[in-house]
Amino acid sequence: MKRSDCYEFLAPRVTDQLVVGSLSGQRVEWAHVCPHEGNLLVASMGAALGVAVGLSLVLPHRKVIALESDGSLLLSLYNLPTLGNLNPPNLTVFVFDNEVYSGTRISEPSATSGNTDLAAVARACGISRAVTVRDLESFKREATEALEQRTLSFIVCKIEQTTGHRQIPRPTEDLWEHKYRFVRYLEKTEGKQIFLGRG
Amino acid sequence: MDAELAKRLVTGLREAGIGFVSYLPETRLSEIVPLLRADSSFMVVPVANESEAVSISAGASLGGRPAAVYFEGSGVYVSAYNLLVLGKRLGVPMLLIVAYYGSILDKRNSHIYAAPGIHLIPLLQSLEIQHVVLEDGARLEDKMKGAVKMMHAIKQPVALLFTGEFTV
Repeated sequence: MKRSDCYEFLAPRVTDQLVVGSLSGQRVEWAHVCPHEGNLLVASMGAALGVAVGLSLVLPHRKVIALESDGSLLLSLYNLPTLGNLNPPNLTVFVFDNEVYSGTRISEPSATSGNTDLAAVARACGISRAVTVRDLESFKREATEALEQRTLSFIVCKIEQTTGHRQIPRPTEDLWEHKYRFVRYLEKTEGKQIFLGRG
Repeated sequence: MDAELAKRLVTGLREAGIGFVSYLPETRLSEIVPLLRADSSFMVVPVANESEAVSISAGASLGGRPAAVYFEGSGVYVSAYNLLVLGKRLGVPMLLIVAYYGSILDKRNSHIYAAPGIHLIPLLQSLEIQHVVLEDGARLEDKMKGAVKMMHAIKQPVALLFTGEFTV
């Protein structure tokens, strides 16, 4: 299963959901496949899931999607006990797990290539709907269910290591511009001011 | 911390417009936690790691709820990377409520706390995070309101470092 195939399936299903992504190839690929105003691609390892949790708590009526990777999640496993206890029903987490640090270009294996089972870790932290999918049909089934239901979902997607994102031009938007685009989209769709000129 | 000071601190947060607090509990300011929990104007989120507190509060802030993070000074060290990439590089307003352990006026200071206390302000300076040291309750509410105004103005984290009478 390729991450790009999963993204091609997800992109047309993203309407007013908020999508928080992390770094590297998945950021470039998602921005290319789904240039959605509700994207917040934080360009950092170990931060996307936490940001998605914060958004899901303060906007309980909005669906929030976190796009994580094995390397990024392994860097921030402390999120899982918190997530298991908070259990926000409007959050869907996809962990695209290629079992390597592909951004290093030497494909150094990550812990998930060995004995680490991220879905099992998530379940042990209290996230009951945590599954691993290994083929596109299973991904489509689990993703559809997760996007339709109001239940915290945690889907580990075992994917091939691919380099297709290296052919995609990098986004030219800088991070402050990206943040403002996201915030203005939220202000428009929520009908409220988010950034205050003064407190 | 004196109960009245804890009450003023929490009231000051509310009056400054803070509506979300993520935290990792510590010793010096811990009296504020039950007060925060008892006040329905705050959404209060306990976490397992200070980096996570910063990322969760960043999400809350971008979602439209002015957010704070409460932790011991050690939390600035632990969360320095997220403060840089979310707070500064992405530009997300949040208030840091920091128990300034190991500072000269820390009434619980010891050989255990002094080293991280000594390096805390240089660390904030290297991150270019605006900060104010509070030793007692004098003009507490003004300082908190000013810090929140500043975080909104620059859309970045601003830190309040509590020592002295707050560390009793």
